[in-house]
Formats: sequence, structure tokens, C-alpha cells
Amino acid sequence: MKGDAKTTVHANPFMPEPARIIRTQMLTKDVKFFQIRLADMEKALAFRYSPGQFIMLSVLGAGEAPFSISSTPSRPGLLEFCIRKAGTVTNALFRFKENDLVGLRGPYGNGFPLEEMLDRDILIVMGGLGAAPLRSVLLYCLDNRDKFRRVILLHGAKNPEEMIFREEFYSLKEREDLECFLTVDSDTTGEWKENIGVVTALFEKCRNINPADTAALVCGPPVMYKFVLKELVKLNIPKDQILMTLERRMKCGVGKCGHCAIDYIYTCLDGPVFTYWDVLHMRELI
Amino acid sequence: MENSKLKIGIYELTGCAGDALLILDCEKELIDIFNAADIQSFVMAKSDNIEGDLDIALVEGSVTTEKEIEELKDIRQRSKIVVAIGLCATVGGIQARFLDPKEWNERFKKVYGNIEMTHTKPVQSKPIDAYIDVDFYLPGCPIGKEQFLIFFTRILKGNPPEKSQNPVCVTCKYNENDCLLKKGILCLGPLTEDGCGAICINHNLPCAGCWGPLKTGNRTSEYYLLKEKGFDVEHIKKKMANYSGTKIASFLKELEKEKK
Amino acid sequence: MRIVKLKKENLFPFLEVISKEADLWAPVKKYEDKHVFKAVEDFSEIDLDYQRTIIPPRRILLPPKTNMFEATQNTYKEDFSNVSKKIIFGIHACDVNALVIMDRFYNFAYDDPYYTRARENTLILGYSCWPDEHCLCKSTNTHIVTEGYDLFFSKLDTHYLVWIGSSQGDDLIRKQPSLFNEDISDKDIQTYLNWQKEREDAFQAEIDFIDMPDLIELKYNDPLWEELGKACLACGSCTNVCPTCNCYNVYDKPILGKNASKIVRCWDACTLENYSEVAGGENFRENRADRLKLWYTHKLQAYISKYGKPACVGCGRCIVSCPVDINVLTVGKTLSGEKVDAFWKRFNLQVKKEVRK
Repeated sequence: MKGDAKTTVHANPFMPEPARIIRTQMLTKDVKFFQIRLADMEKALAFRYSPGQFIMLSVLGAGEAPFSISSTPSRPGLLEFCIRKAGTVTNALFRFKENDLVGLRGPYGNGFPLEEMLDRDILIVMGGLGAAPLRSVLLYCLDNRDKFRRVILLHGAKNPEEMIFREEFYSLKEREDLECFLTVDSDTTGEWKENIGVVTALFEKCRNINPADTAALVCGPPVMYKFVLKELVKLNIPKDQILMTLERRMKCGVGKCGHCAIDYIYTCLDGPVFTYWDVLHMRELI
Repeated sequence: MENSKLKIGIYELTGCAGDALLILDCEKELIDIFNAADIQSFVMAKSDNIEGDLDIALVEGSVTTEKEIEELKDIRQRSKIVVAIGLCATVGGIQARFLDPKEWNERFKKVYGNIEMTHTKPVQSKPIDAYIDVDFYLPGCPIGKEQFLIFFTRILKGNPPEKSQNPVCVTCKYNENDCLLKKGILCLGPLTEDGCGAICINHNLPCAGCWGPLKTGNRTSEYYLLKEKGFDVEHIKKKMANYSGTKIASFLKELEKEKK
Repeated sequence: MRIVKLKKENLFPFLEVISKEADLWAPVKKYEDKHVFKAVEDFSEIDLDYQRTIIPPRRILLPPKTNMFEATQNTYKEDFSNVSKKIIFGIHACDVNALVIMDRFYNFAYDDPYYTRARENTLILGYSCWPDEHCLCKSTNTHIVTEGYDLFFSKLDTHYLVWIGSSQGDDLIRKQPSLFNEDISDKDIQTYLNWQKEREDAFQAEIDFIDMPDLIELKYNDPLWEELGKACLACGSCTNVCPTCNCYNVYDKPILGKNASKIVRCWDACTLENYSEVAGGENFRENRADRLKLWYTHKLQAYISKYGKPACVGCGRCIVSCPVDINVLTVGKTLSGEKVDAFWKRFNLQVKKEVRK
């Protein structure tokens, strides 16, 4: 993966490439969905990435920030992101309209180890904005459905209004080859027909998995990890088959600026996907 | 085009007007400043001032009279963004040093006698965030030209910079200066917000703290360090309090206990 | 490898010759007892009798603030204005070894063109030195050079022995070979060996770096870190003066009145407050103790685990810079269970006493 990433468009790895915003849509009150494509069509078609990787987006006058890719490489052309309004760069991005230009470079990071996930049960646990990177791998699994065995999705949010990709996941529920369970901490709409409760309560639904042959993928807010990891270990899923993708401050994406360093690894080069085993022996990871 | 420019007001409360003066002193960039924004009110620079709704108000000076409290609240009410500029607005300035209201009253009487103030009632000096919500702080005594221009340009474009919380030491080391504190000189670099370019230390003078106290500065450690180097408690306290306005009140109270 | 001899009085004539095609950077006195590297035109400014510069020579290759791009809405123009032909003369062994670490780092996985282009255009002319009480380079085995230099000057009584470390170094000698001679006498060799031996014995400071990875692992939750955190001023000096620190920040500096920006990178330090803060305000290392632990883990554990040697070259800069005595020596010794005399120790005793009161 690292080798691939090195062959990005420019000799200067910090050089952003103009990219056009194709479509935007509010997902929740502070999370916006962006479809972006490199302005140069040849480069757009040549752009290769892997689920779990991230890119750097830059806005003139505001700066640059890392974002995980929410789209799947199995549907080439457009890159998709869900972005929460949090800092200067995201605030600026929220003002952008369709057809506006941003800078894009990447992809960076290791991504999910797809080879190791083949022919296994895939258990995806997402909470809050954790859906952003995991949607990529979920759609990838669905697009390559014959390569994986059971695919189970557990998705938790505070309330229905804050559930990212709510409509999309509703419609995924209809697929027979996906076991999709949605839950909210509380129903603020009065129209919620799915589960109510924390995401760990959904583990009841996957008691009968074959743990040795399962890859569990987790992403969510820090508080969620603690409880979800406990459940996954209880299910006897080996620690090196529990995969999580982590957030860190990054200024470069290519292992130079140092901000994402933990022990001797750089989240941007050796991550952002780590196994639970990595997390246990590198204490600062979560 | 004129309408798309952001409406800006630059206001001076109690202080030396140094920050407003610094803006005027951006000679090379002044035309750009006036071109890029619709400066509605700037008493130091022009006379045809309009006091209406604003996109951004830059407020200099501390609040020292009841009239100023009213004026400030009015500015807040008609401005989308309020920026405190300069030490007086951000921390209260040197004039906010007397934290104990009793001490302030005595000091006031000593200076002005028993004069009846007719047009407005004086109050103990405070930074503007004692009365209104402040969106951004641009410290300095006066503010720095480079820092102001970056800030002003970014805020005009709707991308205010993230707040830096670096101490003066960072730029001081960029400039390859010798550490005065290490040499045993009372330098407040580690406790003071960066932005001045370490100008004093560049000239071999210790940092006096005029950019205001760094929120996360480790005052306790530096205090003990200075004490060990032989400085008198009262002297350290004076130096630390000088440009800290009302912002390190609880720390200074701890030092009071120390003295006893 | 070839070694030649240069008479002392021929040094400046040699510098004269080689500085015609490149900027010559050399140590000059800035304060009574402190030196800096400076681009010199007047050679009388050069002071080779120096211990260590305040900031290491990496400053010459990547200055604290570097413009990366001139950017508009859809164009990014690279700014390599810092790249020019340079010769750094007078670098001590520790700093040469530090540059070797930096070279490896900036080439790892991705090439950082802002460093490597400046580096490719820079020749390193090392110079022998004598340890003071803060020099730790014998412990880090960086008191001698085996790579990373183009020429290395060892000072003897009347001559320099000049090691030629690269083809480009050889080219410099060839600019005026008459200044050098190749007949190194037995006496010269003996003088050099004696000097070498005396120097080896002159080191005063010492740490056993071999144990550091284990010690840091075993003492990961030791109260030591909290003690350090209590005293640390979080001024960033230890990182800014460290010859193997490389962290930086990037910011967008828009140009007033234009839809354009300069993209600037500037040195950052992991010991500073908002180093690990992400958008939205979450800070992964809010405590000073956690940040110090990161620095020391990185220097004394992580790098050793990965490359078999510490990312510390024993230059002693953190020792002479930290106002509260948190440095590789006091931290390393404390980890090894030795007693140290440092402000942060006395401060914590004082704080404990206060609490008891």
C-alpha cells in the first residue's frame, strides 16, 4: 500500500491537486456529505485507493486537514466524504458550493487489510462519525459480496437525526446478504422503528458468529471503543482480527510533520488502521 | 461590489490607542485594508463614521467607566463578530492590576481625591470579556503588525486562524537567542503569549509579558525557579502581575498566601 | 577513504577558494559564551573554538519558517528559495551524525523535497572538538564520524588532518591541491592517536543508552513523568534545540487584497500545548507529562527499537537550554536509578512539602 501511495501525481508529496466539488448534501445538522473529483479527468480516473485510506483536503486561505474516504474504490470516479464542522478548514468547506475547487492530495495510510479479510465473516461496528471510514469498506464488501462470508453491520447514533447515512442504511436493510442493525440512544423523532439502546446491546444479534474466522472493524467516538472492544473479546474474536481506524492531528500525511507519532510509528504511514493487538502494546493509541 | 465587503468598526475604549495607531501605521498595507473592507467606523482615521450593524468590530482598550460598558454592549449587539485587540481589551491592561476592589478604591481616591465624577461613573478596569462575549482575541501591547495582518486577512475571508497557545520562547528559539531565564534573569517568555517576535530578547532584554499571560503557562514552576535563583517573592509577583490584568487572579492569590 | 594534511595557515586560503561557488556557513560568536552558524563573508568572524551552537545546523537546511507554496485557487507554485549551494564548515561529530539521522528520516517512505533538495546542495565540512561536562556523545557513540561528511578536519598542533568522505569532498581539495600534502608522518599519526586517546578520556557525562528502551517500558507509569510534567515550562526549547527533532506545522497565510496565499511550514514541538490537538478541540496529550513522555519515548526507546541506536546524538543542547533541567542526562540518569541534581527534583520536593503544610 505504502509503495502504491508513493506514486501519487506529484514528485512533491505536499502538492495539492485541484479537485471539484460535484455534489454536497447535509447528512445531519453538522455533518455534510461531499462528492469530489480531481479536476483533471485523466488523473481522476487514474486515482486508486483502498478502503480505510485518507486524503488531505486544502482550502485556499484556510489550510489543510485529513479526511477519511467514505466511498469505495469499487465505484471509481467520485470520491465521497462526510465532514463534520469542527475547525477552520471544515468551516470553510461547509461554505463551498457545487463546482467550487479545493486542493486534494493522497491517498495516504495503510487502509484495511482486504487480503486478510477475504473469506471471513465481516462484523462492522460503527458509532457517530465512525461511519465515515467504515462506509467505504462496507460498500466494498457489498460490491465484492462473493469474496466475503457473512457481513454484519451494527450502527449506533445518539438519535435518529444524528445518524449518518440513515436513509442509505435503511435501504441496505432490505438486502438479504447483509445483516444490518441500527440503534439510537434515544428516539427524538417518535418515528424510529429500529432498536433503541447503546450499540453494544446489538451484539446479541451476532452471538452465533465463528470468531476465529471473523474480522471485526470498529470506528466511533473514544467512549465507544472501550465497551465495543470488551464485547468483541467476549465473542472470542482474536485481537489481531479486530481492526480499528484512528484519528490524530496530521499536517502532512506522509510521515514528516510528526504530529501523529505514537511510539515509533506514524499514524499516517503505519495507520490509520490498527489491530486491537497494536493498541494493546502501543499504549497511547486510544 | 461595495456591498459585498464586510462592514468593520474599529473602537477604542480606555488605553493608549496604540493598537488603533498600529493599524494606521500599516502604511504599505493601509490602502489594501481600506479596499478589502468597508470601514464604517474608525475614529482615529476618519470623521464620517457610521454606527450601524457591523460584521466585525475590533475593540481596543479596557472598560473603565459605566459609559464604556454601555458603549461596549451596544457594539456587541450590532456586531456579528467581536475581536478584542491589544492587551487592555484582552486582559484588562496594566490598569486592571489592582484586583482587590478595596485596594482599587483606595488607589482611586489617592489619585483623584474626592472628586465627584459628573458625566460618567468610573469602575474598576476590566477586559472587555468581563461584560460581553468575545469571539477572538488578538493580544499585544500594542498588537504586532504581521500578526494583525494575517488575522485581519483571514477573518475578512471568513477563515479566522486557530488560536496559537505558544509561549514567546518558541520564536525566541527560532531567532537563536540565548535563554535568559537559564542565565538567571527574570524573563517571562515561557508564561507569555507568542506573537511579538521575541523582540525584547532579540535585544538581550528579558520578556516583560506584554502579550499577556499564556493560559496554560506553568507559573508555579517558574515562580519556584525564580525564587531559587534569588528573586524576592514580591518582585516576582509584581513582574508576573504587570501585564496579566485580571487573568491570573487565582494564581496571584496563591502567591499572597506564600508571602505570609 | 583518503586522508590529507593541511597547514593551519592554509585553512582560510582554502575556505576562500571553496566559498567562491557556494555560501559558506560557519560558527560565529553571538554571545559571550554562545555560538551560532552564520553565512560568513568575513572569515575573521569564524570562531572554531566553540562548544555547540544554540540551534543545530538543521536550521540551515530547513529554517524555522519555510515557504512551501505560493497558492491561488487552482495553482500551487513550489517555493524552493531556501535551496542554494551551501558549505557548512565547522560541524562537530554529533551534528554530522544528527544529519545522517535527518537524511534517513526525510527520505523515509516519501521524499521531503524541501529538505532533500537543500541537503543535496549542501556540503558538510566537519571539525574536531573537545568535550565539556555536558557532552554525551561518547555514550551515544556519535563522538566520531563514519559517514555523513564530505570533509572532516581534525585539529593537531600545526596541521589539520583532513578526512575525505565523499567524491564532492575530494573535488573541493582538487580546487587547489597545492594547499594540501599527502605525506603524513609517523609523528603526525602518533600525535593524532594521543589526541584521540586523551579526548576519549575527557568525557565526563555518561548514560547507558542500551538499557533505555527497557527502562522506559518498565517505568512507563512511574511517578517520574508526573514530576517532570509539574516542572516543565512547556516552552518547546528542548525540541527546538534538538538536532534530530523534525516536527513542523503548516499554515495558510493569505495575501490581503488577493485571492492568494503563501503556504508556510514552521517548526513545531511535541512539548507544546496544542501539538496533538485535533479540530473540534480534542487534545490527545493535554498534560505536560504525556508530552514529555512522548519526547523521551521517541528519542530513547522508539528509535533504538527501530534502528538500534538512540535518536539522541549527545550534543548536550537540551542540557544547556532547559531552564528547569529536564534533559536527556537528568531524565536518563533518573530512569537508571541514579541520583541527579536538577531543578525539577528540588521543585517537586518543595511542592510535596507545601502539600504537607
